[in-house]
Amino acid sequence: MADTDIRPNSDSEPTSTPHKVAVADAEGLSERPKTFGQLARERFFGHKLALIGGIGLLLLVVLFLVGPLFSEWEFDQRNVRDRKQGPSAEHWFGTDEIGRDLFVRTARGGWYSMQIGVIAAFVATTVGTVLGALAGYFGKLWDIVVTNLVNLILTVPAIIVLSVFANKYGAGKWGLALVLAGLLWTRIARVVRGVILSIKEQEYIMAAKAAGASHSRILFRHLLPNVMGAIAVEITLLVGSVIVLESTLSFLGLGVKPPNASLGTLVRDAKGDIDSDPLRVLTPGIFIVLIVLCVNFLGDGLRDALDPRATGADSKETQQAKKAAKKARKQMGKGDMTVGQLQDANLSQNERSES
Amino acid sequence: MYLVHVMVSATVDPLSEFYLCLPRCQEGFDRIEQQYNLDTNLFVRPFTYFADLLSGDFGDSSSIGEPVIDVMRTRGWNTAMVAIPAFLLGAVLSLLLSVYSARRQYSVGDYAFTGLSFIGFAMPSFVLALILQVVFAVKFEQWTGFKPFNTGRKTGENFFQLLRDVTLPATSLAILGIAADSRFGRSSMLETLNQDYIRTARAKGLSERTVVWKHALRNGLIPLVTLWALGFSGLLSGSVVTESIFSWPGIGQAFLRALGDADLDLLMAIVMFTGIITVAFNLLADVLYGILDPRIRLG
Repeated sequence: MADTDIRPNSDSEPTSTPHKVAVADAEGLSERPKTFGQLARERFFGHKLALIGGIGLLLLVVLFLVGPLFSEWEFDQRNVRDRKQGPSAEHWFGTDEIGRDLFVRTARGGWYSMQIGVIAAFVATTVGTVLGALAGYFGKLWDIVVTNLVNLILTVPAIIVLSVFANKYGAGKWGLALVLAGLLWTRIARVVRGVILSIKEQEYIMAAKAAGASHSRILFRHLLPNVMGAIAVEITLLVGSVIVLESTLSFLGLGVKPPNASLGTLVRDAKGDIDSDPLRVLTPGIFIVLIVLCVNFLGDGLRDALDPRATGADSKETQQAKKAAKKARKQMGKGDMTVGQLQDANLSQNERSES
Repeated sequence: MYLVHVMVSATVDPLSEFYLCLPRCQEGFDRIEQQYNLDTNLFVRPFTYFADLLSGDFGDSSSIGEPVIDVMRTRGWNTAMVAIPAFLLGAVLSLLLSVYSARRQYSVGDYAFTGLSFIGFAMPSFVLALILQVVFAVKFEQWTGFKPFNTGRKTGENFFQLLRDVTLPATSLAILGIAADSRFGRSSMLETLNQDYIRTARAKGLSERTVVWKHALRNGLIPLVTLWALGFSGLLSGSVVTESIFSWPGIGQAFLRALGDADLDLLMAIVMFTGIITVAFNLLADVLYGILDPRIRLG
């Protein structure tokens, strides 16, 4: 089956030519076969939302990191004289109830939230990948232990359990990130286990075994590269959900504690004055939404780009072709593949199995 | 799947109990130690707790000052008052939305709802709840001089008064579920509508209404129903945030208070309660799946 058979460049298999997953272009007449990486990159950059997400995220990071440098205020510098002020040239987002500059605090909080998101996502991914791979590859006892652990964690009411732990350990970014990761690794473990289960019976693994490859070599050289695409997608989506969860916990007063600030604590601080000054609640809120939106767009784009079943890049011609195909499909009745598409699919499958 | 869930329901309680001990165990107050038997082994303690439970003793809530069982009863009702309307609202709206977007795929409305659901995904529940609260409960009054909804806080026993209290918390709970459910429902409906038997139904000359609402909906609905069952337990978790914002005296608020005051007995009861409900609804989802779709065999 060519479907799951995406092998990134690796010279571990002696029989194959240098790995190029050649896929036909939109016209089916590619001059030069493209590598999977090239294709993925093309598809990614052809994905408008993903680009918006990526650029937006970059802008936000720059804003959070560079913005405070232009401000003369420190994030915990109190200035009781002008507290609870609206936005002005001096304080871009206004000040809070003890006169701290809200722009600097928002930037710092946003950066803090992002850091927690990334740390938690990476820890969760590492744990999830290792456990999922062990469960999928070795099966038996490993599988039983890991699947049941995953099921157990998935059935526990998330917020309640998170609150209990975050209340105890979640004051700093590492503590909070680890607590979040402890609950979120399960999805990745499932995904990785599923993929590995489906490919570990394939011939090339058997060949590797016959050639005397060790377990670790098979796992790291032959199996895990196939999972990388799925993992990359999961990481980005995880970052989004971690940021939402983190801000929720911080909002409830269970996560990040002063003097540190995250976007959640900023909303919490401003909540008391929401009637007179709703803007103070809205700004950190909007930033949360923006970050998560960008991250999710990025994740969607990555998923489309790394999907091994997708064929050509979304160049202009393909988009036109797609539109034409859609029209044709409408005319022919829904759900049917057009002849051209069928040929495309066959062609690309053939080429792929050749490589 | 079925076996796994039964197993989980057997293991979840002692474990959540065990989690809960952690924050408490590190503090050594003598009086409280006495009250919660903290001098006994961490792994033995659950047994004495369960023994007490069996004889009907849930302990006393130190933060509220009533027996836990009373607290749970009144608070449970209050939470249900918000959660059930929220659930119904969410279910109906997500159903309608998913049918609409599936029928009119790539229409303006479809795109609009897709965009909204993207934002809904990214929006943390507390931001949404705060916005709703300000706009509909506070600003609306300032603009029009008329106050349609209260900001929460149970103000009366009268049905209409209650309705005014419940609307906003219930809506903010419901909206978040709708974002995910309607996307899911849309793709499942789309898939169903493209199947052969739907074409057959159309070819037979059935009216579009019968085709969509009777033939397609039955199959398209199956994943949605399971999502709802799972979502209901999510409503309980979500209520922690919403109740704290709308200062609604439900379980979520009691939970936060118990957490802040280290009220072990109440905390334990709440975590176990929500745990049991979650597991029960997971089980329900599995069973429903089997009933709705006879092709699926549980085993």
